[in-house]
Amino acid sequence: MIEPTCTSTQPWWLRAVNGTALPSHPKLAVRGLDFHYGDSRVLKNIELDIAQNTVTAIIGPSGCGKSTLLRVFNRIYAIYPGLKASGQVLLDGENILDPGYSLNRLRSKVGMVFQKPVPFPMSIFDNIAYGIGHHERLGKADLADRVEEALRRAALWDEVKDKLKRSALGLSGGQQQRLCIARSIALRPEVLLLDEPTSALDPIATSRIEQLIDELKRDYTILIVTHNMQQAARVSDRTAFLYLGELVEVDATEKIFTQPGRKQTEDYITGRFG
Amino acid sequence: MNTALQWRRHLLDQLARGLGLCATALGLLLLVWILWVTLSRGASALGPRLFTQITAHAEQGGLANAIVGSLIMNLLALAMCAPVGVAAGAYLSEYADRTRLGTVLRFVNDILLSAPSIVLGLFVYVVVVLPMSRLSGGSVSFSGLAGAIALALIGLPVIVRSTDEMLRLLPSTLREATLALGIPQWKLVVHVLLRAASSGIATGVLLALARLAGETAPLLFSAFGNNFMSIDPLDKMASLPVTIYQYTNAPDPRLHTIAWAGALLITLAVLALSLLTRLIVHRHAIRHD
Repeated sequence: MIEPTCTSTQPWWLRAVNGTALPSHPKLAVRGLDFHYGDSRVLKNIELDIAQNTVTAIIGPSGCGKSTLLRVFNRIYAIYPGLKASGQVLLDGENILDPGYSLNRLRSKVGMVFQKPVPFPMSIFDNIAYGIGHHERLGKADLADRVEEALRRAALWDEVKDKLKRSALGLSGGQQQRLCIARSIALRPEVLLLDEPTSALDPIATSRIEQLIDELKRDYTILIVTHNMQQAARVSDRTAFLYLGELVEVDATEKIFTQPGRKQTEDYITGRFG
Repeated sequence: MNTALQWRRHLLDQLARGLGLCATALGLLLLVWILWVTLSRGASALGPRLFTQITAHAEQGGLANAIVGSLIMNLLALAMCAPVGVAAGAYLSEYADRTRLGTVLRFVNDILLSAPSIVLGLFVYVVVVLPMSRLSGGSVSFSGLAGAIALALIGLPVIVRSTDEMLRLLPSTLREATLALGIPQWKLVVHVLLRAASSGIATGVLLALARLAGETAPLLFSAFGNNFMSIDPLDKMASLPVTIYQYTNAPDPRLHTIAWAGALLITLAVLALSLLTRLIVHRHAIRHD
């Protein structure tokens, strides 16, 4: 197993001194990642470090590969034939692309919330309990506690505490999306992947989710794919700009949006293309 | 845009609409006609005796043994083909989709779906009836069980097809969201997908049952028929369609009337199943809103 190292060429002591460098052990480290859909190469030699307890936004025009990149982190792409990722994605130093890395383990550590909320055809309670039940054997009381905790953390508890036995399909879109977030964090993952989590929601529901992201950052490492540049600016610490399958630039969000290092990034965030 | 062109389009629109209306009217007319003929010819034989007397005393106008036989064989057939059909449909949609094996299996299933039912009856005669007769030394030959197996072979591809299609209608995001929680494929299928598609699958099963209810040919060579009440699946068993077939071949016009009453019963049963199907789909639609 190869120890993850920083991409920077500076020696560690210098980085420690000037204080701007990443921690020496990033939570996630992407090394030379290529992704193929059949014959077409949609991600090209991606190098990316993601520090623990940060929010990283992945932005870029449609088709640039940002969702594909996100879907590598929990290997959900692998359910479709013909898709192939090569290179390394290190989670706490272990390569998750290694076929020996169990999917069960990976997906209990890396949760994902999708663009469209997809509640299970079950009660609100069971929507949360189902995933927990697969990974842990809990007593009735403990399970109820875990469900409540997850719903509270997803800021949904007060709205649903009196109707936990009702079908989750009766919730509003915004509530369903918070239910999906609760469902993911109920497994106590370490990394949370959000794939355009608010694009199907109205502004009020969107701002609730954004607040939530800010609170969840304390415990999780979050990656969010978004089309909405204001959202990226509002919620993230760092922003990665992807274009035509290449990682053009990754830096502190403030820097990307005020003084991007690359012309392409500037053109995109100022709306000249995309 | 000139007016001549608009007029032409208007006329074409009216013509297409008129043709559609005619086609619909023709279909409805035939349906109403069939219902009317069945009702008017069979109504006089409707009565309590239809459900209490057996066909051995044909002149008393009863179909009790045929009704019981049909119920037993249809339910037995359903018990055999529904679990297998749902499981096979789930396999096709969730495990073999976009594989060569899946394509071949779907094709074979479609062939079974369109196979003439008399062929399936003969198949069961050769594969079930004859061996059972040989094994039992002739004491068991035609049987309700064989009839149910023949019916199950007809219902199976219907259920496989409808389950497959209903599951494939589910959004792929539901699969991704479930698998993203680390839940394995088999749990996804059993706990999430089959449940999400349950109303569609139940509809398919009920439609298969409606199809079985009217089948005659496969029962001729398997259950044979019986003029006495039998609930033993290893004995020859009466059924409504076969009794109707026999009665319509009889010279006595009173038997013809009883046959019409039997046809009416089947029609009403199928109608009830269709209504039940509608109800399930409707309730499901409301729950989703």
